[in-house]
Amino acid sequence: MRQTKYMMSDGLAFSEEKDMEKLRRLSLKGWHVCDFKFMGYILEKGESSDYIYCIDYRSLEDGEEEEYFDLFSSSGWSHVASEGDMHLFRANPGTKPIYSDLDTIAEKYISSSNTMIKFAIPLFFITVLLWVGALMSSGVLQSILFTAAVIFSVIVILIAWTSISEYSNKWKTEGKHRLASLGKMTLPLLLLIAVIIMFFVIETDYAIQILTSMIIGGIALPTIIRGIISLHHIISRKTNENKR
Amino acid sequence: MKKSEQLTDSMFYIMAALTKPRHGYAIMSLIEETTDGVITIGPASMYTIIKKLLTQEWIYLHDGSDSRRKTYLLTENGRKVLAEDLKLRKQMIQLAETGLKEAEE
Repeated sequence: MRQTKYMMSDGLAFSEEKDMEKLRRLSLKGWHVCDFKFMGYILEKGESSDYIYCIDYRSLEDGEEEEYFDLFSSSGWSHVASEGDMHLFRANPGTKPIYSDLDTIAEKYISSSNTMIKFAIPLFFITVLLWVGALMSSGVLQSILFTAAVIFSVIVILIAWTSISEYSNKWKTEGKHRLASLGKMTLPLLLLIAVIIMFFVIETDYAIQILTSMIIGGIALPTIIRGIISLHHIISRKTNENKR
Repeated sequence: MKKSEQLTDSMFYIMAALTKPRHGYAIMSLIEETTDGVITIGPASMYTIIKKLLTQEWIYLHDGSDSRRKTYLLTENGRKVLAEDLKLRKQMIQLAETGLKEAEE
């Protein structure tokens, strides 16, 4: 029987290289990645071998896949799996990298961040509406809207953070190191400012209440969001299969 | 793309290879052979640049009958852009050559 196990991803925008290193180490132990699976990878037991891995983001239209995958296989990169716009490749050590110049690497990060921004804009408007609703209503409705508004704010902040780290990746490849570290610092800085403002403007009890719900949301929600994104990929893959 | 903006090295190599109809892998091999393996274009960079050149209408799909190996060719406009960039690169090389020669004397 086929022996498989699951490995969780640390979030590709934050740790693509770390993920790929981990997959390589697991291959050395005989566990080879064979597919994407809900926020991670499926590994299959086989013989130990040294493989290197890499990921490319690209939205491929009908009739484009063959040319795309042929370019990779001709260069020694065999296609392992795809999920939505993400494509995972594997090669023997020493194979030349799939990106050979900085300009195109920078574009790679833009294209993965654009997908996320498209996803974040409607969420942002929903969040604004919820806050307006919470401020204008009263009683039970207000507490429901308020809770929802906090939860949605956390989601939007997290997506924004992911997008910003993609842009930081881009800036880093372009040699703009200061801009890149500034990008990575944005979220913690904003949060700090928000907390300070809350403690000065609002009563302390109320501020603690908001903070607690944000912390809970911050821990529980990344899981949910990545679940949604995974689901989105699965659905778009299904529809693609049906089209064929 | 503005007139003053220069082609990247990879774009220059690829456009130079597309003075004749070629598919992606043929372009990659030609560049690698010509430069004795010093310059290689990765598949992801290759694909990105082909898409970009198509949008700019500097190249066009010459033969798409083999979906794995589609061939492309420079458009009239693409030839002009390449020729313009070549002129600039010649000046660049000349600058270095004269400089080095003078330094030797």
